[in-house]
Amino acid sequence: MSASKSVSVKNLSKIFDGSGGKKVTAVNNVSLTINPGEFVTLLGPSGCGKTTILRMVAGFETPTAGDVLIGDERVNTLTPDRRDTAMVFQSYALFPHLNVFENIAYGLKIKKLKPDVIRAKVKEILGLVDLHDLETRSPNQLSGGQQQRVALARALVMEPSVLLFDEPLSNLDAKLRIHMRREIRKIQHQFGITSIYVTHDQAEAMSMSDRIIVMNKGVVEQVGTPREIYATPASQFVADFIGTANIIPSQVVAVNSERTEVSALGTSFHVKTSLSLQPGDTVKLIVRPEAITLSCDAGIPATISSSVFMGAYQDYVISSHGQNLLLVDADPANHQTFEAGEQVFLVIAPNKLHIVK
Amino acid sequence: MNILQRKLDELRLITRDPILAATILLVAASLVLFILWPLYEVLWEGFFNEQGEFTLKYYHDSLGKTENIRTLGNTVWLGVFVSAVSTFVGFLFAYADAFLKIRFKAIFNTLAILPIISPPFALSMSFIMLFGQQGFVTRTLLGLKETNIYGFEGLAIVQVLTFFPVAYLVLAGLLRQIDPAMEEAARNMGASRGHIFRTIIFPLVRPGIANAFLLVFIQSVADFGNAMVIGGNYNTLAAQIYMQAMGNYDMKGGTALATILLSVSVLMFVIQKYWVGDKSYVTVTGKPSRERELVADPLPLILVGVPCLAVSLFILVLYALIPYGSLVNLWGIDYTPTLKHYKYIVDLGLKPILDTTWLALISMPVTGILGMVIAFLIVRKKFLGRGLIEFSSLLSMAIPGTVIGVGYVLAYNKEPLILTGTATIIVLSFVFRSMPVGIRAGIASLQQVDPAIEEAAQDLGASSFKVFTSVTIPLIKSAFFSGLVYSFVRSMTAVSAVIFLVSASYSLLTVSIMSQVDGGKLGVAAAYSTVLILIVLVVTGILKLLLNRMGVNISDVQGG
Repeated sequence: MSASKSVSVKNLSKIFDGSGGKKVTAVNNVSLTINPGEFVTLLGPSGCGKTTILRMVAGFETPTAGDVLIGDERVNTLTPDRRDTAMVFQSYALFPHLNVFENIAYGLKIKKLKPDVIRAKVKEILGLVDLHDLETRSPNQLSGGQQQRVALARALVMEPSVLLFDEPLSNLDAKLRIHMRREIRKIQHQFGITSIYVTHDQAEAMSMSDRIIVMNKGVVEQVGTPREIYATPASQFVADFIGTANIIPSQVVAVNSERTEVSALGTSFHVKTSLSLQPGDTVKLIVRPEAITLSCDAGIPATISSSVFMGAYQDYVISSHGQNLLLVDADPANHQTFEAGEQVFLVIAPNKLHIVK
Repeated sequence: MNILQRKLDELRLITRDPILAATILLVAASLVLFILWPLYEVLWEGFFNEQGEFTLKYYHDSLGKTENIRTLGNTVWLGVFVSAVSTFVGFLFAYADAFLKIRFKAIFNTLAILPIISPPFALSMSFIMLFGQQGFVTRTLLGLKETNIYGFEGLAIVQVLTFFPVAYLVLAGLLRQIDPAMEEAARNMGASRGHIFRTIIFPLVRPGIANAFLLVFIQSVADFGNAMVIGGNYNTLAAQIYMQAMGNYDMKGGTALATILLSVSVLMFVIQKYWVGDKSYVTVTGKPSRERELVADPLPLILVGVPCLAVSLFILVLYALIPYGSLVNLWGIDYTPTLKHYKYIVDLGLKPILDTTWLALISMPVTGILGMVIAFLIVRKKFLGRGLIEFSSLLSMAIPGTVIGVGYVLAYNKEPLILTGTATIIVLSFVFRSMPVGIRAGIASLQQVDPAIEEAAQDLGASSFKVFTSVTIPLIKSAFFSGLVYSFVRSMTAVSAVIFLVSASYSLLTVSIMSQVDGGKLGVAAAYSTVLILIVLVVTGILKLLLNRMGVNISDVQGG
């Protein structure tokens, strides 16, 4: 096994020639470092540049500016076949004219390993991904989940320094996706291979990553652990993209070293923040749905606009001071439930609040 | 940003893949050498006199002659007429194929293949056998002594019958892609069938109609074989170039005409590819959700179905006349069965038959491989000059054979490349004449293949060359083998370009047939044609059989 390597990109940009001579900036001056053995997710909506970065690391796209480093080596001038990366493609990209065994052995044959070594390695990997008895099947005889495993096995068997995943689970159904999420994470841990994982699915990013890189419109919005990104989003975009957020326009009333006082919903809140603010600044107050609880007697007055029973939880939309807020009661069986039209009071947990500019 | 560094990186990336770099250079060089250079020679030859001084004399002479102006007018008028009628007939066939509940639709595809596997002037021969001076209809049945089908009428009818399948294939492809759900939606909103046709179907295929018209036009103006055989006094440019250059030994006058013909064809090609080519709505709507309910009303069946079947039968009869004509004593007068025409061929020597076959066989793999390599480079690779490679390789489809024939004569009869009279020059003309269809098939089938499959191979350590041989070729093998078959067939039946290149050392079947028609020996010409068609059928049959054994299923070769 080759040692796991770090990956860094420095001031990386990619500008595509769009139709009609228009230039499209897919990636705009991005710098990142991914540590050896780390599992990092590039998360963002489609067109945010995450796949382009992945493809530049693999060597399928040439950067317009900036450098890609694998370990300490600048790899800009290496073609994909000479880079020590292995990619798992969104469409799996299995070779339809080769069977499962031949698909997985493809890269090993190019390395000119001995046939018995190839056989042993392929067998071992097949066992790891639970596909022992399918080696003579052709890809079109496999289910989506099986194809996915072959694609994973084909990349793993190369024992690359860096594993690249391009939305590998997006073609699977919901249950299988959750299962494969755990599988991939388990195998990655076991091998300790540096992994870059591209997805637009926040649940995937949250459940698998050591760190998440949130991207939007070609730039990095925030880098952090799943916990940091959820609790202290760096921007309105991140707050909105990760989980559900109530974004309430508010104004800074007073600033002191401990807490910043902002006014919203006809009252004021004291919020911890690292932003440097002046009284009078307009900011956005981020309130997660689970930070709000309903009460019959005291708090911020509000009206229930809609109330939907979802089984494990109760979904509310409530209206207060001209704002529509989402609220989730995670334990409706033990709480009083409210119906649309009822007058209620909101209680907002102050330590779960966060502000962004 | 350091631009120099970027350029250096890009250069390094290409040199890291020396086989790719070498292939690009080789392909570019061969296209320049065997397509662009001969054209350049044609364009410039007419501007210089024997002493190498610049002059407009030859163009002035050519364009000054009323005869040549009339020839140009003839060519364009014939092109417009034939394209309009062919497009209309092709549309009827396409409509019948997609919408009508009639049997024997399989005939339509046979009709589309027949002009490709037979000599390009086969229908002219049959037509003369039916309506000529010793024609079965004119002489045997009606007893007419003085008939003349040579000229515009004969040529136009024969061209329509030969070229309407091109329009049919284009339009049938479009009609098949129209989602019946759209028609159902319109009917659901209260539209009648006629109204749907006028407001939905017709507007959707309108770009296809323009496309079909231009494709037929390009073929009509380039048609050399029929013009020579049945054109009579109705001169067209394609034939006139040959007669001027080879008959009157006036190469410079010939090139002036060739330049004019080339301009007409290239103009149409550019319009077809860059203006009409992109304007298809049908592809936007995606794949049909399900099969269309076919129309069984008597009115459309009588108005469209019956004429289509009648035309089909007529064409089949015309083709059947060729083998039949080769087996009778003296066509039009004495229909006693005989093998004497075949004996005559054997006595004359089998050289044209053998030469043609082995030259076509040599060209086949060269064309097939080069075609796939070019398709791969065009679709998958980014490099300086890719646009030029794409344009020049597809352009050669639009260049009339007579023009490229003149170009080859001019380009390769002097240093640095003397090829006149060799087998090489014939093989080269076969290769570069039939390659565009292979390239198009390759491009079409590569576009169906997820590029990620090839990227995966490269990601796993395969070089560009290894990716091409171990992944690309196996995935597009049916296009590859179709290209092989088409190349062989097309080479066997080629005449317009190679007629300039044959020499004492190499004679070709098509050229022999033509000289027999010219000498009035229809029986011998028919015998040669029958042999040609048999060789084509046998070789392609063997190829298909071998490929089936290997598990490759090749679609029927459809040309254009």
